[in-house]
Amino acid sequence: MWDYNEQTRFEINLMATTVQTRIDNSIEDPSRRAPLITGGLDYDGVSDVVSDLAEMAKPPRIWYVLLAISASLTLILGALIGLLFFKGVGVWGNNAPVYWGWPIVNFVFWVGIGHAGTLISAILFLFRQHWRTGINRAAEAMTIFAVICAGMFPGIHIGRVWAFYWLFPIPSEHLSMWPNFRSPLLWDVFAVSTYFTVSLLFWYMGMVPDLATFRDRSTTRLRKFIYGILALGWTGSARHWHRYETAYTILAALATPLVLSVHTIVSFDFAVSIVPGWHTTIFPPYFVAGAIFSGFAMVITLLVPMRSIFNLKHIITVRHIENMNKIIMVTGLMVGTAYTIEFFIAWYSGNPFELFAFKNRSFGPFWWAYCIMFSCNVFVPQLYWFKRIRTSMIMSVVIGILVNVGMWFERFVIVMTLNRDYLPSSWSYFRPTWVDIMMLIGSFGLFMTLFLLFCRFLPVIAMSEVKGTITFQRNMAHAGGYADQH
Amino acid sequence: MHHIRKAEITSPITTLASDTTTRLVPVAGIAGIGCIAGAFLLSPGGFAHFSHAYLVNFCFYATICIGALFFVLIQHLTRAGWSVTVRRIAEIMACCLLPLAVLFLPILIPVMLGSSELYTWNTSRDSLGWAVGDGDMYDLKTVFLSKNFFALRNIIYFAVWSLIAWSLYRWSVRQDETGEKSLTMRMQGFSAPMMLLFVGALVFGAFDWEMSLSPMWFSTMFPVYFFAGCVLSSLATITLVALVLQRSGRVTDEITVEHYHDLAKWTFAFIFFWGYVAFSQFMLIWYANFPEETFWFRFRSEGGWMTVSMILLFGHLFIPFLGMMARTVRRSKTFLLFSSIYLLIMHWVDHYWLIMPQLGASVHPGYNSPTPIPGPPIPELLCFLGIGFVLFASVCLIAGKRSLVARRDPRLHEALNYNNP
Amino acid sequence: MSNETHQDKKLVGVLGQFDSPDALLHACENARQSGIKKMDAYSPFPIHGIEKALGVPRTILPFFVLAVGLSACAAGLGLQWFTNATENWGPWSGYQFKISGKPYFSLPANIPVTFEIIVLSSAFAAFLGMLALNRLPTFANPLHRIARFKRATNDRFFLAIETSEGGLDATSARNKLMEYGATDVEEVWLDQTDHQLPAFLKTFLVLALVLLLLPPVMVFRGQGMTSRQTRLHLNPDMDFQHKFKPQSLGPVASDDPLGFFFEHKRSALAQIPGTVSRNQDDSDSTFLRGIKAGPDSHHTNIKIPVVLASNQEQEALTPAAAPVEPDWVTEFPEQFDVNQENMLLGQKKYDIYCSVCHGYSGEGDGLVNQRASALAINGGTTWTAAKSYHDPEVVKQPVGRIFDTITNGRATMGPYASRLSPADRWAIVLYIKAIQETRANVPPATDVPPEADKNAGAKAE
Repeated sequence: MWDYNEQTRFEINLMATTVQTRIDNSIEDPSRRAPLITGGLDYDGVSDVVSDLAEMAKPPRIWYVLLAISASLTLILGALIGLLFFKGVGVWGNNAPVYWGWPIVNFVFWVGIGHAGTLISAILFLFRQHWRTGINRAAEAMTIFAVICAGMFPGIHIGRVWAFYWLFPIPSEHLSMWPNFRSPLLWDVFAVSTYFTVSLLFWYMGMVPDLATFRDRSTTRLRKFIYGILALGWTGSARHWHRYETAYTILAALATPLVLSVHTIVSFDFAVSIVPGWHTTIFPPYFVAGAIFSGFAMVITLLVPMRSIFNLKHIITVRHIENMNKIIMVTGLMVGTAYTIEFFIAWYSGNPFELFAFKNRSFGPFWWAYCIMFSCNVFVPQLYWFKRIRTSMIMSVVIGILVNVGMWFERFVIVMTLNRDYLPSSWSYFRPTWVDIMMLIGSFGLFMTLFLLFCRFLPVIAMSEVKGTITFQRNMAHAGGYADQH
Repeated sequence: MHHIRKAEITSPITTLASDTTTRLVPVAGIAGIGCIAGAFLLSPGGFAHFSHAYLVNFCFYATICIGALFFVLIQHLTRAGWSVTVRRIAEIMACCLLPLAVLFLPILIPVMLGSSELYTWNTSRDSLGWAVGDGDMYDLKTVFLSKNFFALRNIIYFAVWSLIAWSLYRWSVRQDETGEKSLTMRMQGFSAPMMLLFVGALVFGAFDWEMSLSPMWFSTMFPVYFFAGCVLSSLATITLVALVLQRSGRVTDEITVEHYHDLAKWTFAFIFFWGYVAFSQFMLIWYANFPEETFWFRFRSEGGWMTVSMILLFGHLFIPFLGMMARTVRRSKTFLLFSSIYLLIMHWVDHYWLIMPQLGASVHPGYNSPTPIPGPPIPELLCFLGIGFVLFASVCLIAGKRSLVARRDPRLHEALNYNNP
Repeated sequence: MSNETHQDKKLVGVLGQFDSPDALLHACENARQSGIKKMDAYSPFPIHGIEKALGVPRTILPFFVLAVGLSACAAGLGLQWFTNATENWGPWSGYQFKISGKPYFSLPANIPVTFEIIVLSSAFAAFLGMLALNRLPTFANPLHRIARFKRATNDRFFLAIETSEGGLDATSARNKLMEYGATDVEEVWLDQTDHQLPAFLKTFLVLALVLLLLPPVMVFRGQGMTSRQTRLHLNPDMDFQHKFKPQSLGPVASDDPLGFFFEHKRSALAQIPGTVSRNQDDSDSTFLRGIKAGPDSHHTNIKIPVVLASNQEQEALTPAAAPVEPDWVTEFPEQFDVNQENMLLGQKKYDIYCSVCHGYSGEGDGLVNQRASALAINGGTTWTAAKSYHDPEVVKQPVGRIFDTITNGRATMGPYASRLSPADRWAIVLYIKAIQETRANVPPATDVPPEADKNAGAKAE
């Protein structure tokens, strides 16, 4: 901003490209850590690159195109929600015995996606994984938007939506009625709302120093006012940083078990029941692993295009993508192990109902969904054993999308276990209605709309943390541990 | 800015080998075998009591070593730098899975000879309990729970674990001499596929050793529970061994308070993880309340077993969780010495709780309560000492004259300069 | 710069700029060594070890969060205990009800919500505690007036040393900073007017607060109110469903072009003559209906479906005469033996089906009745109180009449024919008669065997 003009930006970019061609930071060398920020970016360079999108007068055309598409889908979603309220849940394909149809599939799917953000920001923070700094902000934003999409589905499924506040323990004068705290569905209300709130706090708190950077860079009064309010008067005082870092660590330490608990409680929705195929004790960790799996796949799907459209390749490097792909592979294997254990125990238990449920899943009317689930979740990620595929951007996106298709079908397969219950006379084939399908697509629209607005108006990279990583990288380079790029 | 340590260890190679240890090896070996024999002869509850007690202690030690193997694998997979100085301890512990394969014989041989005192599935159709009415289902289950298949599976488990542990140890030791970077790459590459085999063996090992004691009962979470105990106990043991070695001067300033702090953080995390898994498993079974599942927890909530369950709930979860919350505590060597021993005792109680209620318990769920333990815990204690002595002797033989720290690991400088923020 | 140009301003410190985190760290260490205490460092990212260099004590935040977390644990458990496991305790009553065989307060099932409440409260404690300890948000800060300081959030590092009347003066502070290697040094002036909130912001904040408070206030107020207005139908589809009850009339012919409805636009076929539906078996009037067999006993109480074209016609044909009281059976029928076995059966069935409203002793004081009556008194519901069997009107009723009440229901009470066999119903009648007997004629002490007396005493306690 100060002594900053088009010419220097051009030079920075030029320098960045030349250095990039020299450094491939995905190469493994045990004696040196590969640099996590390439392109010779210094502190000011990081601020410039990250603020660029929020400060440019006109974002790239592709941004408008994507926003137009996703905003239209959001409008359709809104209209369908109106239709649902007016007509009732009959507009969905839910039937007896599949009382929980697509709405719960979509709910679990989106909540799962919402797990990667907090995992990256909290668990990788506790593990001191420096590569998280390049991706955590966008992943946290994605988490919040995914949880919004997730919370919507059970929210509009409660029938009398205007009485939604009955979900919360609000004292009432006449009824003396309270929620049933022994019900897993109520645990869900608490888990999802807590998760949303804590993720939002975590996201916002992480953003305060960067909003201060935006404030101090802003040239118009309006920007200065809005970012000024949001930045809470942050100055970067050492005393403030000390308490801030303590609070951040505490939030990370709280968010870590919270991440586990949220999908665990979602899994309890199914597993505390006595439905064969649902009641199995491995559900909690298996759901959590699946959630991380799908969440990382979604992060990859969003970040790979983002880094190239918004020129963030030196901060979100090939190594970041490769690391995430490795996590996808590991969690994919965990999910695969859980599928196997479940199937084995269904056989080992000697419980005919359990075994039937599993046979029905894989060879019953929804065999095709099971095939999609198994191949996308277990077989496809195995491609990541090859480094070429792990570091290929196109393959990352393709596999990321396939994994999410697989994870959506995993929840579909689980819910469709209901399709053949104890009463063979009620067995029938579940079919979604057009409202079901359009609502799922519409939820993607809502998600993308929020994400695109985030890219345009908020700091997409945790600048202060990336700057800390640059310093760490320099210090380690002195100790001989990091490749010194300066 | 900070004082940066050189990436090399200047102090002379420190090993376990000394005159005392060389002399102790045969003594410990003989004492170990003697203790096991004594447990067999003095068991107040006969062979059934002995074999259950032996299994408790076998599982106690084996889970520690399996956890150590996991520790080594995960450090390689994540290219960890901080843990280089403590990795060798875990490598040696993991190698104990070789002698443990031999120590499994007192369990395997009676099974092969047709004894059903420990594994009740080894005898009659009735022992499978619930599913008897269902001919087909029963036949399926007997395929899995048959002595020959059981033996075959266990041979595979130990082969897999020994292969992984020994290969990683051998390469790591070779690096001490040559300092080849390629060895690190090889260990990392090797760890990825081996992790799959490791997990497979662990899952079915957990089913075979402990879950099949109650052939009727099943829980898909069980291997995860078993795994949580493995990692937790191995972390406690690594901390304990490092502290003991440092106190006795066999390891000097290579291991700093930062490493203890990190080990303690891992321990803390796994205390919570263990609690999470244990609670989830209990919760789901308690809530659904299926007779074919709940009986297992009913056995453990009646009479004296309720006390043991409560000891686990408080002693294995709440007390250490609250106790290890503070940073200052996690950086105190005195406290860590105490907490590691404490956690290992709790780990032993955990396996006692898993195995002993099956002694004399009816195979038919819900019909009977477990019978009380038939007398003083002589076989429990003697087996604990026996297996411990044998493993001590093995550790001395395995470690021998080799360094107790990976001296020339390419990431050593990271570990030496490691600082917790 | 001189003091004349800063009339309403005050010199508060001197700011030095540094180029790297290391330079700032060294400056802090040096400043502290030379005894300066009132200073603060500013950097775009946290610098490892700087709080030690400045002598900042470790924050108490973790203890605060722990305290909040522990309180939240107690509060979470307390909330669940109060709402699900207590009744009539405190200003709002809890609500006990059994579900899936779990105790009212069942710890395993209460763990998830407790955990979430702990995390939520602790997270707020960490965030708000951090803000409070940092005295944020503070929008007025003299440092923000300095153009150079804008780089504190970008790429430069600053050390501010406070100046005061008796302590360090500006010149020596400036010299010190230069000595520590500052590339630039500048004075910091406090502008008193900075601390005022802009007027429009004040209005906005007050307005926002009021608007935010409105919905909860409305909801809370709405809870205590009754309304005579027709209720709002937010989704008419659910309130007025397109469905026909069995044997009801369909729409007029023009509404049914597809000929979906049956003859005379009925929603179902008329019963074939001679159909005997469930509970309409009148082969033995005495035993099955409690009405003496006679020429008129048939069809008195059976609603024969009338095939009609419209409501008006139906109304026109409905007999308007007052219902004739049937000839009730006064003695127990032959098929039913009055014996101890049936008395116990009656007691058992009574306790299951009747006692919830009528009470165990037939006073009409069952739990459902108590609760429903309480709610009806508070308004909002209508409830016809369950009768006491000791009411003289009820005592007078012949057994057949009581049997009929159980079979077909009266007022709020629903029919029990589908749940109780005729024999069960007669057993209940027998038991009710016995209950009435206990009140009407208290047996002389000689009639009661001593053991029974003892048992009765024990039960009463």
